[in-house]
Amino acid sequence: MPKLETESWVLEADGIQVQFGERRILSDIYLRVQTGQVVGLLGRNGCGKSTLLQTIFGGRHVADASVRVNRRRVVPAYREPGLLNYLPQVPLLPPRLTVAEAARLLRVDARQALAAFPELLTQLARPVGELSGGTARLVQVLLLLHAHTCFSLFDEPFTGVMPVHIEQLADLIRQTKARKGILLTDHRYAEVLPLCDVVYLLHGGRLEQLPPNPVPALRDRGYLAE
Amino acid sequence: MVLYLKALALFYRSVLPFTLLLSGLLLVAARFYGGTWPPPVAPLLFQKLLTFPAVIYLQAQFRPHQYWFYRNLHLSPRQLWGGVIAADTLLLLLVLLVARFLS
Repeated sequence: MPKLETESWVLEADGIQVQFGERRILSDIYLRVQTGQVVGLLGRNGCGKSTLLQTIFGGRHVADASVRVNRRRVVPAYREPGLLNYLPQVPLLPPRLTVAEAARLLRVDARQALAAFPELLTQLARPVGELSGGTARLVQVLLLLHAHTCFSLFDEPFTGVMPVHIEQLADLIRQTKARKGILLTDHRYAEVLPLCDVVYLLHGGRLEQLPPNPVPALRDRGYLAE
Repeated sequence: MVLYLKALALFYRSVLPFTLLLSGLLLVAARFYGGTWPPPVAPLLFQKLLTFPAVIYLQAQFRPHQYWFYRNLHLSPRQLWGGVIAADTLLLLLVLLVARFLS
């Protein structure tokens, strides 16, 4: 298990090629995330963002995919305790599991994880399936964010979350990056861009790292309104 | 190991209705269409093992996203199904042994 908070970790992924039928989804990929960074992965619907996150996590087998942490190959990465966790677009937690039970299995202190949202503390004994979609999403993000891993991969963490909570959640993500690297994708560019230290754009199967101020580049390519 | 057993119990609960149904059907078929009761253990366990590919396939079709949570616990689908197959086959064996004892 990696020692957290004492070392810096670098996650790199390349050699990932994915094709669905005739359509090439991912072809020219190099991605790097390190402790202390929030990295944004942007792109249109269906461009392969989720596929890329799943491949890095190890849940999708891609021949020749190389995922490395501090230059050591870790495929599938999810098998290594303490390395990384992943929030998919779909609900993560089994619906009959209570929030407290889910936290225990993920080895997270539930009270500490939900402390920034005191109203969630009253939901600890409730099954996840009984929570509203936005609350369940928020709980899932908070549990994974507080888990003792070197990296967290979040696929649309803000979906369904109330705007007032999104601001708080963004603050928490900023605080948490001191001890882990965070790779996230979301269509809420207004919330994502100020949060990110590095932004990648996935377009036509190719991953491009945008300049430190990504707004003009995104505007030029039609990803942001004028 | 404790985490694995807890996760396995959770996963087993989610597939138990299907596996119990299939075990029940095998027992009913053995009871009413088989030659002897209780049925011989080995052929029935073999038939039981043959049902798992269908269960795994149906789970993949109807609950394709269920494995993400377990992967976050560092468990692969193969590890989960390995445990389920062992536990479920053992359960059927126990039922057969009890039936044998009672008859």
